[in-house]
Amino acid sequence: MELFELLNFYVIPGIVLGSIYALGAVGITLIFAILRYAHLAHGDLATLGAFIALAVVTGLGVSPLVALPVAILATAAVAVGIDKVFYEHLRERPKIVTVMASLGIALMVRSVIQVVWGVDTETYSRGIVRPEDYFGLRIRDREIYTVVALIVLVGGLQLFLTRSKWGKAMRAMSDNPNLALLSGIDNKKVVMLTWVIAGGLCAASGFFLGLNTELKSMMGWYMLLPMFAAAILGGVGRVEGAVLGGLIVGIAEELSVLVIPSEYKAAMAFVILLFMLLVRPTGLLKGKVL
Amino acid sequence: MSALLSMENLTGGYGDADILQDVSMHVAPDEIVAIVGPNGAGKSTAMKSVFGMLTIRGGRMLFDGDDITKWTPNRIVQRGICYVPQVDNIFREMSIHENLEMGGFLKKGDLSASYDRVYTLFPDLKERRKTLAGSLSGGQRQMVAMGRALMLDPKLLLLDEPTAGLSPKYMEQIFQICRDVRDTGVAILLVEQHAKQALAFADRGYVLAAGKNRHEGTGAELLADREVAEMFLGG
Repeated sequence: MELFELLNFYVIPGIVLGSIYALGAVGITLIFAILRYAHLAHGDLATLGAFIALAVVTGLGVSPLVALPVAILATAAVAVGIDKVFYEHLRERPKIVTVMASLGIALMVRSVIQVVWGVDTETYSRGIVRPEDYFGLRIRDREIYTVVALIVLVGGLQLFLTRSKWGKAMRAMSDNPNLALLSGIDNKKVVMLTWVIAGGLCAASGFFLGLNTELKSMMGWYMLLPMFAAAILGGVGRVEGAVLGGLIVGIAEELSVLVIPSEYKAAMAFVILLFMLLVRPTGLLKGKVL
Repeated sequence: MSALLSMENLTGGYGDADILQDVSMHVAPDEIVAIVGPNGAGKSTAMKSVFGMLTIRGGRMLFDGDDITKWTPNRIVQRGICYVPQVDNIFREMSIHENLEMGGFLKKGDLSASYDRVYTLFPDLKERRKTLAGSLSGGQRQMVAMGRALMLDPKLLLLDEPTAGLSPKYMEQIFQICRDVRDTGVAILLVEQHAKQALAFADRGYVLAAGKNRHEGTGAELLADREVAEMFLGG
C-alpha cells in the first residue's frame, strides 16, 4: 500500500477519532483525579452536548461551530447540576456507589435524549463534504476544526491548571486532598470547577463526533470504552496522558481495519485497556492506579 | 508570661472513645514545646485536639484570647494556627513554589512578603523553587511542609513528628530550623518520638502516658527526672 493511502484513509481519520476520544478522556481523568471515581455517564453527557448543538443549529439556523460554545456551556451546567442533585449526597459513601449511580445517570440522560430528539440518525448539515488536497494529504475542514479544538481546549486547560490560583488548587486537591483541606482550599468549589471543565470537554467530544460522522442517541455510550482506555493508557490523572492515550486508541482503531474486519474495530480499545492494566496499570505517563 | 495557647483539663477523642483524659498544657508565644511519651500515649491526638480534629467532651482550649474549643479546622487556620502532618505533608507533584502558594491560599492580596520570609528561613528552597517537591530529600520535604504552613503567618505551628524517618544529621537540621522559626516570633508545639533529643532541644516538654499528663518541665528538668528516664526514655 502506498504511504499516502495509509495516511489518508487510516492515519488522518485515526487522529481525528483520537482527538474526539481525547476530549472525553481528559474529563474522565480529571474526575478520577479530583473525585476518585470512574464516571460512567461521561459518554451519554457527550451525546447530550452533541444534541444540544443540533438544537441550536436547527433552531437558530446558525453554523455548527457557532453552536459549539453554547453546547459546551449548557453541558457544563448540566454536569454541575447532576453532581449537585445526585452525586453530592454520595460523597462520603464508598466510591463504587457513585460509580453505579453514574451508570444510572447514563441511562437517564440517554432516555431524555431519546424522548426529546428521537432515536433516528441526525446530521448537522446535509450533503457530502469533499476533502481538500494538501500536497497529497486529503483533509476535510471539519477534521482540521476537530484537531484545532483539541489543541485550543486542552492547551487552555493546561494553562489554567499551571498558572491560575484555582487551577493549582485543583492540582493540589488531586495531589493530596487532606493537605489541600488543611490549607483552606474549598473542596466544593474545586469539585464544581471539575464538573464545569469535564462537562464542557464532554460536549466538545460529542459535538465533533457528530460533526465528523452523524448523531445517534447511542453515540456517546459506544465512546465510553475507548475514552476510558485512553485515560488509563495515558495514566489516570494526567491531562497530557489522556490526550496521548486518546490519539493512540483512535489511530490504533483505524489501523486495526487493515488486519481485522471493521466490525471488530471497537475491540481495539478493549485490547489496549486489558494490555495496559496487565502490563503497566499506572499508564504511559505515571498516573494513579485504579 | 501569659500563654498563647492553653489547654485546660481536656478530655476527648475520635468518635466515642476518650483518648485524652484531663490533659492540660500551655504554650507561650516564643517557645518550643515538645510532647513526648511512649507509643499510644496520645501525643499526636493531643496535638490534633488543638486543631479541632477530635470530639472534645470536657475542658476547653484557649488561643490568644479566644475560646477555640469548638472551632472548625478552617477557622483555626485563619486565626493563626497551622498544622504540619507527619506524613503526606507536601504536594508531591507541585513545585516548591506552588506548595508555598497553596499554603497561602486563604491569604488575600500579595503573597510576596510571605514568600520572602519563608525563603529567608530556607535559602535551599529558594534556589530550587521550580523543583517538584516529591523529588526532594526527606529533610528538604520537611522544610517545604513547614514553609507551606508558615505562609499564613501563623502565631503557632503544630509539628507532628517532624524528624520521623530522618537521619541524625537531618534531625539536627530540623531542630535548628525550629529554633530559627521560633526566633521569628512563631511558637511551636511538636510531637516527638525521639524523646531524649527532643527534650534536649525544646524549651519545655510534657510527658504523656495513657492519655494523661504525667510530667511537665523544662527539657533539662525532664531529662534529669529519674522516673521520666526510666518510664519513657529507656533509662
